[in-house]
Amino acid sequence: MKPRLKVLGKEELDTIYTTALYLLKKVGVNIEDEGIIKLLANNGCDVDSNRIVYFPEWLVRDCLNSTPKEVTLCGRNPSCDMQVGRQKYPYIIPLVSYNYFDCVSNTYRTPTKDDVARFVRLCDHLSTVNGVWMLSMIPEFEDMYMFGDFILGIRNTTKPVCVINFEPKSVEPTYQLAVEMAGGEDELKRRPLLTVNYCCISPLIWNKEGCAMLKATARWGIIPAISTEAPMGDTGPVTVAGDIAQKMAEFLSGAVVLQLLNRGMPIIWVDVHETFDQKTGAVNFASHGNFLYACAIGQIEEYLGIPIVTPVIPDSKLLDLQESYELGFLLLTQMLGGSRLVVTHGLDSSRAFNNELLLLLDDMVTATQRILDGIEVNSDTLAVEVIEKVCRKIDGKRRVGHFLDQRHTLNWYAKEHRPRKDGIFEKHRREKWMELGSKSFTQRAHEKVEEILSTHKPEPLPREVEQKIAELQKKYQIKV
Amino acid sequence: MAVNFFESIRKAILDYDEEAVAKLVKEALESGLSPLEVMNKGLAKAITEVGNLFGEEKIFLTELMLAANACIAGVEIVKRKILESKTEAGKPKGVIVIGTVKGDIHNIGKDIVKALLEASGFEVHDIGIDQPAENFARKAAEVNADIVASSALLTTSRPQQKIIEEKLKETGIREKVKTIIGGGATDREWAEEIGCDFYAVDASEGVRIIREICEAGRR
Repeated sequence: MKPRLKVLGKEELDTIYTTALYLLKKVGVNIEDEGIIKLLANNGCDVDSNRIVYFPEWLVRDCLNSTPKEVTLCGRNPSCDMQVGRQKYPYIIPLVSYNYFDCVSNTYRTPTKDDVARFVRLCDHLSTVNGVWMLSMIPEFEDMYMFGDFILGIRNTTKPVCVINFEPKSVEPTYQLAVEMAGGEDELKRRPLLTVNYCCISPLIWNKEGCAMLKATARWGIIPAISTEAPMGDTGPVTVAGDIAQKMAEFLSGAVVLQLLNRGMPIIWVDVHETFDQKTGAVNFASHGNFLYACAIGQIEEYLGIPIVTPVIPDSKLLDLQESYELGFLLLTQMLGGSRLVVTHGLDSSRAFNNELLLLLDDMVTATQRILDGIEVNSDTLAVEVIEKVCRKIDGKRRVGHFLDQRHTLNWYAKEHRPRKDGIFEKHRREKWMELGSKSFTQRAHEKVEEILSTHKPEPLPREVEQKIAELQKKYQIKV
Repeated sequence: MAVNFFESIRKAILDYDEEAVAKLVKEALESGLSPLEVMNKGLAKAITEVGNLFGEEKIFLTELMLAANACIAGVEIVKRKILESKTEAGKPKGVIVIGTVKGDIHNIGKDIVKALLEASGFEVHDIGIDQPAENFARKAAEVNADIVASSALLTTSRPQQKIIEEKLKETGIREKVKTIIGGGATDREWAEEIGCDFYAVDASEGVRIIREICEAGRR
């Protein structure tokens, strides 16, 4: 039996989906692009004078049916590809954000290119991490942030790199770079190396920039990752069910447009669960309600048959107890709930990333994967033979055997308990810990990070790709 | 040829293959290698390597124990050969009396130390678990021990280690032996309080300390 946490029944999922269809049909979506409005009108939607588009149920169902259930996010190294829908464990993708938290000085700073490069290299090294999600907004870039992020990503990892976009103009050069990496447009279609994340606006709005991105990704055949962000009680209803239904409608409206523009293209839904905190006026990502929402994602994903990315976003401002609690609860609930793609954020409600946290995450992911595997019950794991052998060892009318010197222990220890490889979790006796310098987890993690970064070097980009980068920078006057 | 034997014995120990170790040791002795050479350059060298790997946390305790058991299979053959030849080289590296104190039936830590010491060529007298202090002293006197090692995992049983110190004095051999304690209920402060010579935080440190004591004694 494989463990799974379920928080919604089939009827409840049906009701949420029906509600999303009702919202699309009766409440409609505000769309700020005349071309897309015309496209939708030509395909059976009603449009009113306020640019509100009403989607018929049949059109939504039809477009949902033509959206692939599986998607592959490719890295430079094909063995690192994420085959969403076929994987054993949820994929883990850490986010590069627009602040860096320095655990030595306990301060935040604007990240440099080197900060981002180090983080991505660390992601490249860790086996529990499957790719990176980039939103650095480094001031050095000035503009064309997505292009800059993509370069930093691909130079420092051979795993898949997903980028977030706020500027439609950076799509074209980034696409051309991906084409060069893939070895041609057809190759890029076969092995999509570029995934671009952009937002629908809540409640139920596609603004000009969002519409431009819908058209750009459909035109270029780039994998779109559509974010829906409706903090409960702010731009979304305060109830979990209502928030899911509204965001489902928002995502589906984008999916309809994309399928009408490019039938059969894969689409990813980035379902961000967040709550508007009524005391502080801040948007929180790790409220009690969010923990519950996190459990539901896997079920929604299975129900719709669409790959969903869900972020794990602690609100804590330090690498402290709150951070561990929020990260652990969100990750565990989400992974046990059946999520297949998890984007892990650092601290401060997605505003900062940090290297040392990746080592904590690495262990939490390993632990959760172990839980997901469940308890194997067979003749070897029941261990009757070895129990008999150990119990037969008698000295002075006392059983003195133990399992430490048994092959069975060696054969199963790593499989059953997934021991840690790096030793940053302190498990010695206190005397030994003191002898080793009485270091905190963060101190040990920091030392380990430096050790990894001093040795781990990802495979460099091929010379022709570097030449293409220089060419594109000149052509599009990009100051990266 | 000798080098090949030593490397093969090393590999067999790292494979935890008791049968292969025994076979190779027999062959090595039959080929004319001295028991001392086989012990020091083959078996002891290999188990020291495994012990170091464990000390560096690169292998699991079970691997260390399986390697020690494989090594012991060879040590027994070497011991027999030494006894047959009655050479001076047959003297063990040190004589150890080891046991778990009265009121305590934990044997695992003690067994690990014992296995590693035996694998390294020490003469180990394991008096077992739940042993009163006088048994430690009596056995130490009987075998002319260099070291008395006691294990206590329960706070209720660790006062027995203080009594061991007293019994060794009463028996008149306290000055001749070194004492070492270990186990979950013990610490450095406790060792100092009861007048014990050494404290080992874990089995691997215990073996290292015992080795150092015996080497210093030989010099």
